[in-house]
Amino acid sequence: MNKIILSIGLSSLVASMLLANQADDAKIQQLLKDVKALNAMKADLEGNARSGFQLAGYASFDWTGGSGGSDDFSGVKFAPIFHYQYGTIFQFEGELEFEIDEKGETVTALEYAAGTIFLNDYMGLQIGQFMSPIGQFVQNLHPSWINKLPSTPVGFGHDGAAPTSNIGMALRGGLPKIANLRSNYVVFVANAPRFGFAADGDTIIDATGKSSSGGASQLLGARYALNPIGGMEIGISGATGEAFDDTNTSGTSQNIFRTYSAMGADFMYNDQGLDVKAEYIQQKVGDNVSSTLEGGTWTAFYAQVAYQINGLNIEPVLRYSDYENPENRKKQIAVGLNYLFANNLIAKLAYENDTNSNIDDVSRVRAQLAFGF
Amino acid sequence: MKKLLIIATLLSSMSLMANDVQPADTINGVQIWADTCTRCHNLREPAALSKRAWKYSMTHMRVRAGLTGQETRDVLAFILESKTDEDAK
Ligand code: HEC
Repeated sequence: MNKIILSIGLSSLVASMLLANQADDAKIQQLLKDVKALNAMKADLEGNARSGFQLAGYASFDWTGGSGGSDDFSGVKFAPIFHYQYGTIFQFEGELEFEIDEKGETVTALEYAAGTIFLNDYMGLQIGQFMSPIGQFVQNLHPSWINKLPSTPVGFGHDGAAPTSNIGMALRGGLPKIANLRSNYVVFVANAPRFGFAADGDTIIDATGKSSSGGASQLLGARYALNPIGGMEIGISGATGEAFDDTNTSGTSQNIFRTYSAMGADFMYNDQGLDVKAEYIQQKVGDNVSSTLEGGTWTAFYAQVAYQINGLNIEPVLRYSDYENPENRKKQIAVGLNYLFANNLIAKLAYENDTNSNIDDVSRVRAQLAFGF
Repeated sequence: MKKLLIIATLLSSMSLMANDVQPADTINGVQIWADTCTRCHNLREPAALSKRAWKYSMTHMRVRAGLTGQETRDVLAFILESKTDEDAK
């Protein structure tokens, strides 16, 4: 009897141990599975892949009020930027700009779209549409979270004195140190700009990237910049070629070609909250006897000082800009005060006063909320 | 056309320049970072982006800021090294 009880007891013990073993096995299997899944997630998060995508960009919301005009919520801008990268040899960057105009319509623009093949440590070959390498404001300082005032300096916006973008090819990069100094360069060839009328009838140099040179010869340009001390860059840039003039009304609808040149000098310095920027840009279009439209010189200059007050997240800004074209000269003083919620989330308030050579002074107040992501 | 040809010849000869990939130097990285990353815009701290995003943004900044390949690797190494779990807060 005892033996029977003992054997029943023993066998149930063995059975329960076996069962427990099985349960542990299942748990271990599950754990292994979880670890594998987590590892895959980690690899994904850390970007253990040769290629990948990133979404960046910026957005801003404007308000304008002032002399002679109404008070308006004057602008909404959303500019997503796509980055695609393949290993360490290729990068694509593309920016779309969406804005709402006065009529409530959405205005879209492809600001730039270019692929860069990194040939070696000092050379990237960029192909496509890129921001004009002449100067710095247009290519590097216009995004609203970067620009320290709600507006662009006069002459540095579209169809002003500073060229906007190019379609073509650029070779660019950082150079090995020369006499212990860092420097960088861009050399580019691109389609010719257009010289003619804007939609509002003004004579302009339309220097946004176009998929045709209109028969004119292409543009050849370069920028070289030196970093004499930390936080400082001094750059000079220039381009030469032809502009095509499409104002020919003599029925032949053939473009007229004119000489074209652009020139820029830029300065940037940032140290311990102090930020100084200055830039001079010039574009010149020659005359052509077969056109009644005269050529001329478009020049713009700006200088800006800003100071971030440590601990308060407040930044006062002062900017002077001056723009001259064959029809008008405009000078502007802008004073602003920024509040930095974060380094890439900024509320700006500014007062601007414009002095024009052919119309009365205009002043306005602008406010903007800008962020970069 | 002529310009394109000149450029193509220049490129093909120059791209043969050897790439001397050194191990990333975080000391040089922090120096380049301090010297360049607040020049155009406010500082984007290492905490601002994920490790994965930094890889892409640094390639982007290589083009924008005119960095050499080695400088880019050095800055990236410094940024990744300075990231902590607190960054998510
Ligand atoms: C020559 C000017 C310039 C310098 C120097 C510069 N940046 Fe930028 N950076 C930009 C511009 C311009 C953008 C915005 C891109 C755009 O809107 O097209 C940007 C955007 C960014 C962004 C947002 C995400 C992205 O990839 O667009 C990060 C992060 C960033 N920069 C980090 C850095 C770091 C780190 C350095 C130092 C190595 C640096 N930047 C130096 C011009 C610069």
